[in-house]
Amino acid sequence: MAAKTQVADINRALYDFVKSEEGSYRAEAGLTEDIVREISERKGEPSWMLELRLKSLEIYHEMPVSDWGPSIDGLDMDNIVTYVKPPTEQESNWDDVPEDIKDTFERLGIPQAERAYLAGVGAQYDSELVYHNIQESAAKQGVVYSGIEEALHGPYAELIREHFMKLITPREHKFAALHGAVWSGGSFVYVPAGVHMDYPLQSYFRLNAKGAGQFEHTLIIVEDDADLHFIEGCSAPKYNVANLHAGAVELFVGKRAHLRYSTIENWSKNMYNLNTKRARCDEEGQIEWISGSFGSHVGYLYPMSILAGRKAQSSFTGITFAGAGQNLDTGCKVVLAAPQTTASVDTKSISKDGGISTFRSSVVATPAATGSACTVSCASLMLDDVSRSDTIPAMDIRCADVSIGHEATIGRISDDKIFYLMSRGISEEEARTMIVNGFAEPVSKELPLEYAVEMNNLIKLEMEGAIG
Amino acid sequence: MGTNAKTLRNANAMPAPTWHFLRMNDTEITIPGNLSVAPAVSSMVAEDAIAPAGMFEYSLAMLQLWWEVAHPTDALQQASIAAVRAADAGATYGGTAQSRYQMRADAIEAANSLEESFETGVGAEAAEFLRQAAGDPLVIASAESQVVNALVTVQGASGAFSAAAIDVVAAMDSTVNLDVVVDSPDASDDAQGFTATTIRVIAGFGAQVNIRRMQTLDAGFCDIDDVGIVAADGACVEVAQTVLGGEKTYTGLACDLRGSESRIDIDLHYLGHGDQNHDINYIVRHHGVRTECDIQASGVLAGTSQKTLRGTIDLIRGCKGARGNERESVLLVDEGVRNRTVPVILCNEDDVAGNHGATIGHVNAEQLHYLQARGLSEKQAEALFLESSFDHAIQQAPSEQAAAGVDRLARAVLGQSVLMRDAEEDKGAQ
Repeated sequence: MAAKTQVADINRALYDFVKSEEGSYRAEAGLTEDIVREISERKGEPSWMLELRLKSLEIYHEMPVSDWGPSIDGLDMDNIVTYVKPPTEQESNWDDVPEDIKDTFERLGIPQAERAYLAGVGAQYDSELVYHNIQESAAKQGVVYSGIEEALHGPYAELIREHFMKLITPREHKFAALHGAVWSGGSFVYVPAGVHMDYPLQSYFRLNAKGAGQFEHTLIIVEDDADLHFIEGCSAPKYNVANLHAGAVELFVGKRAHLRYSTIENWSKNMYNLNTKRARCDEEGQIEWISGSFGSHVGYLYPMSILAGRKAQSSFTGITFAGAGQNLDTGCKVVLAAPQTTASVDTKSISKDGGISTFRSSVVATPAATGSACTVSCASLMLDDVSRSDTIPAMDIRCADVSIGHEATIGRISDDKIFYLMSRGISEEEARTMIVNGFAEPVSKELPLEYAVEMNNLIKLEMEGAIG
Repeated sequence: MGTNAKTLRNANAMPAPTWHFLRMNDTEITIPGNLSVAPAVSSMVAEDAIAPAGMFEYSLAMLQLWWEVAHPTDALQQASIAAVRAADAGATYGGTAQSRYQMRADAIEAANSLEESFETGVGAEAAEFLRQAAGDPLVIASAESQVVNALVTVQGASGAFSAAAIDVVAAMDSTVNLDVVVDSPDASDDAQGFTATTIRVIAGFGAQVNIRRMQTLDAGFCDIDDVGIVAADGACVEVAQTVLGGEKTYTGLACDLRGSESRIDIDLHYLGHGDQNHDINYIVRHHGVRTECDIQASGVLAGTSQKTLRGTIDLIRGCKGARGNERESVLLVDEGVRNRTVPVILCNEDDVAGNHGATIGHVNAEQLHYLQARGLSEKQAEALFLESSFDHAIQQAPSEQAAAGVDRLARAVLGQSVLMRDAEEDKGAQ
């Protein structure tokens, strides 16, 4: 695939191509105890994991669907296939990956990215990882980057047991329970104390199967004084039936450690993206979330930072672009749970063509958060009057010695700005795209160059036809 | 006659709820049983400004007729919205997956009925209960261009439920000044009681309605302040609320800025001390073009007091040029306080500006430095802010009884009289 350096290079076919499912194993549609047992058996899991799955299934059936967010009436779990195994095992040599799957990821630019600037890559196709590799230099430093199922059988099995679904418990919400029951695939990353990764690791998730769910689990442990940048990307072809993504990301950031977690989410617009992400930071640990949400029919996504250690820090920089038929409910949660913690939240959202974008957040300062501070800033841009943009930030402050600030604005692109650019010979469409790209710049500037270009391309793609 | 024990659920509810784990979407109000329903309400209004019951309903029906002529249902627009919402309708997941509150909002707009969309801030169940408890409402109606002043006093008494229902119908270009004083001057230290007012307002074309409510109840009292407003073209409503006393207080206000260029300004001052719990809910819905709202809330929380403020600015499709602004500032004095804030903007229209901001925390470093340079410790500086809550209330007091109520509370909380201090300062200055 040619490097994407110009806005004009992109077209929707980049994401919308479909590959044959021939040779793949599909579990029966729906959600039953037999299916859960079958997934566990196929993976040869330890008994504690099967117990967790079964308990999660029980909780799933007990818990109600949320009544405050976008409707998920169009998601019928009886029609969702929770496990689809592609016709291959996980490979560490790119040439060994089956042609069809290899072609998929090559079209998406994953092997090129690995050669250019990544320290390791994981590629998941439907329910299983098909490729995982880490550069020798990183492995020599003791960094572990592998499939989580593979790691469950290795020397890190006990570490995984100690951390798996401990930050995100099955009781968190209905789809966290679903994840606990049918999770499959995902990555395990372990960065030993003091190790600084010079290049990012990346996981890419591709859901090819029609009417299927993807439930990968990402577990990252960054030990004291270590540093990691992890990138997550995802896409799927569009079908006329619902697909479901209910992954989970659990991040443990040690003392004085730093983790940057970047996501460009571009699921197809038949996807219900009900993902859960959570990080816990110890003393002086730092978590940085960079999040771009562009795809999905329905999105519920609120990465959570628990600042558990003194002087721990979090920052969340996010952008959401909701177009026709989309209802994207995104934002973040912050818990200031220790003295002198600091958090910042900076988000942008754009709605057009009837799309609905909601920024939702919560900031909770516990009584232990003395001397802590948090600022929340959210800006929403409405590109027409058939769309909708809502802002629902909540603050629960239980400590007097804190400083909490919140600012939010909603509006449209001013005619003055458009007129100014048009008076300099720029077309109206191009002027609007430039202004929207400028609006999104705080997020794109935080991404590696290639991803920033992709994000700008996505905005350009969404903006096409916005005039008239 | 006495009250039956009752729980008003879903009170002070936000139109757009959020996570339940935060327990901020709404509240419950428990009305104890066996409180005597006492007519401890007095009013001072010119006789010619008192109208018969039913005036509010009649005026709302008249407003509906005007609205239907001025803003007939736009079938073309509704069809285009429906077409947009039906994106991918052929797929199994088809159509935009709206949230419940988004669907409810669309349905209310489609109905195009002022009567159906009229609401009060605490909620329909509470309003109905309070109107029953209050008996005949006081109906204040101004004539065109007339100025009407009204003072309503609700006196809390131990073992009593004292409620007032007030309707205001302000005619074209008229001015209505309504002062409401809620106090418990004769209560003993262990007195317990309940007070409530429920106010409905129609602000006619170009009318000015000013509502000032001051609450200085003693510690054993609970209070409900429920307001619903609809404003016609060019109407202007100013609401000033001061919440100083009471054990549990519930303040709810909903305003429908229906007419073009109508506006509302809300100014809330509250003080939390002891183990008080203040629960506040504002809903301002912008229907008319170039409508404006400005919500300013400021308060001090001390002791183990708690406060929840839900503020919703709803910019509804068609309110082109509307401006909604909300700002809150909370000073947290003591460990053990709890402040909850949800400043919501709902936006269905592109040609608008919605802003909200909140500042929550201790005395800021700059202020503290300034005060310390003048010899005040941090504790003294914080006490100064507490004192200033009473000073502000004294200045706003609409009657001598209200001022006396503020002073009585100041003596209980600060251990000193702000009235006597002011008198001494005046004497010193002379």
